[in-house]
Amino acid sequence: MSNDQRVIMHIDMNAFFASVEQQSNPELRGKPIAVTGNGSRTVILTASYEARAFGVKTGSTVWEAKKLCPSLIIVPVSNRLYTHVSSQIITLLHDYTPLVEVFSIDEAFLDITASLSLFGGMERLCYLIKSRIKARFGLSCSIGIAPNKLLAKLASEMKKPDGLTIIAADRIAPTLETVPVGELCGIGRRLQRELLLMGIRTCGELGRFDETWLTRKFGIIGKQLKAMGQGIDDTPVIPQSEAEAVKSVGHSMTLTHDVEERSAILKHLLQLSEMVGRRARRYGVEGRIVHLTLRYADFTTFGKQQRQGEGINQSDRIYQAAVAILDTLELQQPLRLLGIRLTGLSQSGDQLALFPEARRKQQLTEAMDRVNNRHGDFTVMYASLLDQEEKGSHVISPAWRPEGIRNVTVG
Amino acid sequence: MFAPHRDIRVAVVFGPGNRIKPVWFDMDRRQHTIRQITNSWKERRGETTLLHFHVTDDGALYELIYNMTDGSWKLEQIEAL
Repeated sequence: MSNDQRVIMHIDMNAFFASVEQQSNPELRGKPIAVTGNGSRTVILTASYEARAFGVKTGSTVWEAKKLCPSLIIVPVSNRLYTHVSSQIITLLHDYTPLVEVFSIDEAFLDITASLSLFGGMERLCYLIKSRIKARFGLSCSIGIAPNKLLAKLASEMKKPDGLTIIAADRIAPTLETVPVGELCGIGRRLQRELLLMGIRTCGELGRFDETWLTRKFGIIGKQLKAMGQGIDDTPVIPQSEAEAVKSVGHSMTLTHDVEERSAILKHLLQLSEMVGRRARRYGVEGRIVHLTLRYADFTTFGKQQRQGEGINQSDRIYQAAVAILDTLELQQPLRLLGIRLTGLSQSGDQLALFPEARRKQQLTEAMDRVNNRHGDFTVMYASLLDQEEKGSHVISPAWRPEGIRNVTVG
Repeated sequence: MFAPHRDIRVAVVFGPGNRIKPVWFDMDRRQHTIRQITNSWKERRGETTLLHFHVTDDGALYELIYNMTDGSWKLEQIEAL
């Protein structure tokens, strides 16, 4: 089957975090609410449609949002709740095709080419999915249908909330003619500005632009940009079982306040080391390279890496490596973000450590992991982390997937 | 999914602006009170206009179709929630 005969659906949950909060607490329904991070320096992560009517936007500070909407109710983020609901929605989507690609916690692509006839046509299938999500979770979503992922995503953005937009193959060119290039997934603000400098505002203009010029300006993506302007996208919907493997395991955290004391930095590094180590052990991998990422209060971000003599995944070894990197740096400003990443991954062996001391440490780590797997992260932790106010990640990674564990590439 | 495609009896409130709101329907000699209309859409089939309603009772999702030409109702589909 040729690519333009495919039927691709993009589902985008409307104001997902805020809507889930409104469903879990009926007192919040119909009211302007905004979901914020847990930290004191947080911004609005998402706002309900009632709040959006006042101009409250994602990324605004709480102060700015309250100025626009004094009755705004601030709700702290509940990542576990959102990932739980998202996982259930993804399970529901698998009733209609095995080809479901989770794009983020609130977005998914479905290739329904083969299964469409079983459900009585496009429109009917879309309304069936929308109705089941609405009835089971009380949530609305916008659906876009098109011959490829690029256009399906564009279509779902066209009507919000609770929209349904179908871009048929013969309507691609007229639809794209006036759509600003920035509406296409993959064209960010910077690229949009550069295209504007070349006189390209709309997808129609991008699709007609001389490919040689685009390639000269943007290199190998020039050809791809022209194709995007023409609504061409051959990328398949990739279910998680076939998803590209991750090549690193990492975590970062924006600190609740800028820190400069070494002891405070070390505590955060220990916490991050435990998070990275735990994930690496769950994947059954170890890494030979440890990266440390630091961000100053003025948002200057830099990093340094160090190769280890052997692959590691024990939290204390990762911590020692991160501290060793930190000790080579002379910090100029207080830090607002810290990150640790393990790369150069290989499958970790199950062999027992040779020396009794190392063996005890290995067994202790395994016991801690078992308890934390069963009762939640940081149930058992290093004593020096006990007085940390908040533990664990406060954001849902874009790489989050419902099944939790992703494929891991080993070198 | 179960697709009975059968004629059924539906109680409806016809409101201002040609608004149609199904309230309950009979199925297997039992009256099902409609808790929520989750979606509705229009379909043209030749000269006929069909109004599709997705409705829920306490246990399932039903697709009811109202034929605007002859005023009949059909139960088209039953889906688990």
